[in-house]
Amino acid sequence: MSRATPRLILAIIWLGAAAAVGLWWLDTASVQGLADWLTNAGRITGMLAGYAVVVLVALMARIPMLERGVGSDRLARWHAMGGRYAVSLVVAHALLITWGYAVAAHTSVASQASTLFWSYPNMMAATVGMLLLVAVGAVSARAARRRLRYETWYYLHFVTYLAVALAFSHQLSTGAQFMTHPMARIAWGTMYAGVGGLLVWHRIVTPIRQAARHKLRVFEVIDEGADTISVIIGGRHLNELRAEPGQFFRWRFLTSGLWWTANPYSLSAPVRHDRMRITTKGLGDHSRKLRFLQPGTRVVAEGPYGAFTGRRRRQPKVLLIAGGVGITPLRALFGSLPAEHGDLTLLYRVSHPADVIFGEELQAIAEARGARLHIVSGRRTDLGGDPLSEASLEANVPDLRSHDVYVCGPEGMTTSTVAALRRAGVPSRQIHHESFTL
Amino acid sequence: MRRVILAFAGTVTALVMLLGLKANVATPVTSPITVVATGSWPSADTGTPSSGSRNTSPVTVTGDSVSTPYGPVQVKVTVAASKIKSVSTLSYPSSDSQSQQISEYAVPRLTQEAIAAGGANIDMVSGATYTSNGYIQSLQSALDQVG
Repeated sequence: MSRATPRLILAIIWLGAAAAVGLWWLDTASVQGLADWLTNAGRITGMLAGYAVVVLVALMARIPMLERGVGSDRLARWHAMGGRYAVSLVVAHALLITWGYAVAAHTSVASQASTLFWSYPNMMAATVGMLLLVAVGAVSARAARRRLRYETWYYLHFVTYLAVALAFSHQLSTGAQFMTHPMARIAWGTMYAGVGGLLVWHRIVTPIRQAARHKLRVFEVIDEGADTISVIIGGRHLNELRAEPGQFFRWRFLTSGLWWTANPYSLSAPVRHDRMRITTKGLGDHSRKLRFLQPGTRVVAEGPYGAFTGRRRRQPKVLLIAGGVGITPLRALFGSLPAEHGDLTLLYRVSHPADVIFGEELQAIAEARGARLHIVSGRRTDLGGDPLSEASLEANVPDLRSHDVYVCGPEGMTTSTVAALRRAGVPSRQIHHESFTL
Repeated sequence: MRRVILAFAGTVTALVMLLGLKANVATPVTSPITVVATGSWPSADTGTPSSGSRNTSPVTVTGDSVSTPYGPVQVKVTVAASKIKSVSTLSYPSSDSQSQQISEYAVPRLTQEAIAAGGANIDMVSGATYTSNGYIQSLQSALDQVG
């Protein structure tokens, strides 16, 4: 089911794009000569750009159906790829229209651009919007982002909302497809308003509602060793959140230095009616600051998000493979996935024995459930090979191919482990993983 | 990088295909617009004032080509004795049947008003904002040349 949903969403996105192009198709009788070709190419790219921008915002609107069905990591990747494409479409649209008009009017492109800018309705705003989009695109390129603090980039990215708002009016007032078709205008406006409404509801209103209902506060901060801390968050009626093991929330801690962003951290234990636990390694600016959280600090939690849950599981046998800090969501799954005695295995890979966290907890769960726990630490050279290779996995996990496998860890480890599982013959639909890189 | 190339190539291919499909459809035949005015349509003079007479001999001037979202508008005006004798429209929006219809409706009215008003200070024709704007601008630029 969750494999089908990304494809379904993609199909819907493509259908929408076809509809946008269809508006142009129905409205255009024929295309003759260079000016027509250029202008209409500009119109098509314009329609697609206006549509693409709406899709991009929708992907990031934190719509629960999308977050759970497609998965937050995949949504973020789609948004990043689609963003680059959308900015290119906008620039192409502007250039093609200007050039096409210039050819039709037998003027230079420069003077045509000037005419468009100064005398056409809403074109100044649209041009500013385009420049802002290009600027945000440039700043979001990997090379630039490495030099910026994450906080700075995060704020800059919100400028895209301003760009979209500035460009919207010119679409309806100068867009050829909209000028003479009120139905098209209504549909387009509804699309924008709809996605805007979803955005406000899910990213602003719902977290505020949830904060008021659940009154989350930091309860305790625990040092787990190995540069890892757990934060216990207390609140009321937490089962109403219906968070499943394996899921995460986006946490906003209302204290200086942390309030400006909501960062994702996975639940490391099943949710109790009044307690939640997250665990994180101090790897980033944000996570390092969590160590200094004071009990009583208010917390706003957005979520739950994530498709990395027991819902995907089909087989009676389950193998959990954790790399380093990836143990966090898997610890929650280890304690809660329904499984018969002997059917559940956790393979926990760390570089160094001191890196192991939750050691006693995991042992206790393994004994209570009759589950197998393998903690593998040390370098490959010491171990005589890669414990996550195809051969090693097959040897250590009998009947590997009939397991559902959940993999979580740093990106490199996840990618190579998934590849090894595929080579060992585990079907794709039985391999589940989540990773968070953009 | 490969994805970028694929996306670019795919987009260009799709654009060319879409436009190509529309390129095979025959254009609607543009019918001439008859103008009610003193003077004939289309104006035949290319206007050099004949020697001996000054302001009374007709002068024909072509205005700027003004671009609109539906195509450029350009007028040629014949002036004699400080009166507009006739206005001929060299180009008007006609790229699709809708523009064609709008132009056929608007241009004669604009020309009538221009001649009656003796200048470009005329009302726009409602429903033909861009055509009217283009017409007025082009006419004004022609009149500016005459002085």
